[in-house]
Amino acid sequence: MHHVVLERWSRGSSPLHRRDPRAKFGALLIFLVVLATAHRSLPILSVALLALLAGTLLWARIPLSRALARAAVVLPFTLVFAAVCWVAGDPARGLALLLKSYLSALAVLAVISTTPLPLLLHGLETAGVPRFLLMVAQFLYRYLFVISEEAQHMRVAARSRGAGTREFAAQPARFRAAAGALAVLFARSYARAGDIHHAMLARGFLGHFRTLGSLDFGRTDAAFLALASLVPVLVRVVIERMT
Amino acid sequence: MQAVHIYDGFLSTPVWATMDVAAVPAVGYIVRRAQRGFDDSRVPLLGVMGAFVFAAQMINFPVGVGTSGHLVGGALLACTLGPATAGVVMCAIIAIQALVFQDGGILALGANLVNMAILGVLAGYLPFYLWGQTAWRKLAIFAGGALSVMVSAMLALAELLLSGVPMPGSMLGISLGLFAVSALLEGAITLAVVQALEAIQPGFIRKPATGRSFARGAVGLAAILLAAVGFLFASAAPDGIERLGLQTGVAHSRAVIRSPLADYELDFLRTPWIRRAGAGLAGVGLIYGACWLIGRGVARRRSA
Repeated sequence: MHHVVLERWSRGSSPLHRRDPRAKFGALLIFLVVLATAHRSLPILSVALLALLAGTLLWARIPLSRALARAAVVLPFTLVFAAVCWVAGDPARGLALLLKSYLSALAVLAVISTTPLPLLLHGLETAGVPRFLLMVAQFLYRYLFVISEEAQHMRVAARSRGAGTREFAAQPARFRAAAGALAVLFARSYARAGDIHHAMLARGFLGHFRTLGSLDFGRTDAAFLALASLVPVLVRVVIERMT
Repeated sequence: MQAVHIYDGFLSTPVWATMDVAAVPAVGYIVRRAQRGFDDSRVPLLGVMGAFVFAAQMINFPVGVGTSGHLVGGALLACTLGPATAGVVMCAIIAIQALVFQDGGILALGANLVNMAILGVLAGYLPFYLWGQTAWRKLAIFAGGALSVMVSAMLALAELLLSGVPMPGSMLGISLGLFAVSALLEGAITLAVVQALEAIQPGFIRKPATGRSFARGAVGLAAILLAAVGFLFASAAPDGIERLGLQTGVAHSRAVIRSPLADYELDFLRTPWIRRAGAGLAGVGLIYGACWLIGRGVARRRSA
């Protein structure tokens, strides 16, 4: 599956990987705000910020071309709106939509591909996000692959029994069969959740997760946060002064 | 669901900031609601059901010739797990989509949460809550599925329009038509899956208490519909709003709703951008502060 690659990237050991998740997330928010509020000379600013992100990704030893391709997931949706803006006689806004959404996605990718999700969620928890919600998100991510695999199997099974037929008359039956498959998947997921809980209790689960390492917002993290927040701001100041 | 995810860069600063500020207490409330009378043992259940909704996208439902749709899930979760719990699961789904899959923005997270996880799930549950025990049960489940998609889509469209994304009338009509089709499909899928689930094990579907006031529920439903439709049309016709006294005077922010952040957006549009960015950062700080306070409140309540 294509997201497994994210697991591999996020377990690297570059200096960026070792920074505290809160420092990275804070820097991400500042980057996103600097980008979102930009109006003047956006194309030049975008090139500069793209270079900044590319540099960051290279520094973290993330394969650049694959990261750039992954962030393009926002493009199909954005291109439609950019085309509409073009037709409506506002091509500048269309371009702004494209640049801003792509760069924002790339920035989020830069953070998530250098931070394992459990650590990021733990960082968010210490920053005040409700723990209950984060635990649900953590479980969701963990079992996403398991349940998806199961759905994949069911799809293959249905195909091999002739569910791929294009015949129009067979559609009501196919619709009901798909609903039945989903219901079975629902019931299996429900039962699996019960098993998971029992296994957790058997291993001494006390109602919350404990991570192996403790988060420690050190001096390096503070320096990183200061630097990483200042650079996009300075880039924007310089570009807007020059143009 | 992909159709109504909003990415960063689409919403104007006042819109995303307002939606983020609105999302914080709403998410805090449903998290607290979902935890009431609910022990931590069900945390794995919620996570696995969220994974189920993700995986459900792989099961295709045929629509017409050669096209297919899939379950969105808000209404189905609300009928099985209850509205607050379903809201929490949807919040987790949207957060994971934004963080891991870059599907939906981080600054636009508040807007996506309010559209889909909070108001979408609420709208999906309401018909079932009102008529789940009457002869109209099937229709209620169908309407729930359709309504959840339609409300989310209309809110997303309205937010885009408020942000000044140009949308000619024909484009608006086409997208509303497409959303209506996917809403009907979601209703049909939700109903079919609920019926199949009942055939497997009837206990999965919740039984809403009987004896709801029909009139009160109908009024509530009408209010939600009217609010969504009105919001959409108000944002599609910003001139009307402007005539009501909100002169913006700035060409590219022609539609600014009255919000805590709208006023100073007007001020700082004329001043150097640093103050604008500063205001954005102050907004983020404000959101963070609110998150932190609510988190503290929840923790205290839980340990008390």
